[in-house]
Amino acid sequence: MIIATVEPWVEAPLKRYVDEARARLALVLHPSGQVLAQAGFTRAVDVMTACALAAAVHATAAELGRRVDGRPFSGLHHSGAGKQLYLAPVVTARGAYVCLTVFDQESSLGLVRMFFAELCRDLAEAAPAAPQVRGPALAINFEQELHANLTALFAGSKREAAGGFVL
Amino acid sequence: MSAQFGTLLEGLTRQRGVRASLIVSENDGLVVDSNLRFGQDGDRVAALAASLYRKARRSAEAARLGSVSFLQLDAERGRICAVGGRGDLVIVVVADPSANVGLIRVELLRALESLV
Repeated sequence: MIIATVEPWVEAPLKRYVDEARARLALVLHPSGQVLAQAGFTRAVDVMTACALAAAVHATAAELGRRVDGRPFSGLHHSGAGKQLYLAPVVTARGAYVCLTVFDQESSLGLVRMFFAELCRDLAEAAPAAPQVRGPALAINFEQELHANLTALFAGSKREAAGGFVL
Repeated sequence: MSAQFGTLLEGLTRQRGVRASLIVSENDGLVVDSNLRFGQDGDRVAALAASLYRKARRSAEAARLGSVSFLQLDAERGRICAVGGRGDLVIVVVADPSANVGLIRVELLRALESLV
């Protein structure tokens, strides 16, 4: 499976996670929608779309959780005919991120949740100690950073594209 | 613990050497109900036992051996026993290595009979 990361400290925990949870696709993104790492995607446009949708769904679910339960929901699961997704936040010293996992009948929600808890621990341990100072996600910066991240993710992966997965 | 499965699980956990008994969803790997002794992680056991049972069932089908009646995994510090076949539900027992597997098997199959 193709795994590409914008920040190298994410790679090993993400690889272990997708291997152990037998996930088909995984995305680690900033809540604003900027990609941090991906596993299983072969096309930048799919990553871009998935990031935008995942960020929107996460924001919606978090706000719904605040309204219903007084705090954001800790995870979101959707089940389809053949594939399922699990969307949940990851908190590290670098800040909060969102992880989208797509899996099929080779795995289960229980396994994904179990290994996701390990991913959270691994990322919290692997994250560099110094927090990254981020400005607000302004439109003028967002597109520029998004393209830079997608270029970083897919620049060297074309040769590996045969084994990948299209959204 | 719900009343529906409470008696069934208590009967299993009462067996000598049994540390935990759970009813799990085979497809989701989630706990439906459980009776755990102190120190047992029900979510983890449920996810792994369901995965194990699902793979065993598929393997038996692929090998044309029919359905799985009883699954037993012996490990250094304990054993997992599971029975299923009633819809999506699997009954799982975690026991000490010294536990009487024959008795656990009888109780599991009896519990499966009473599972609607």
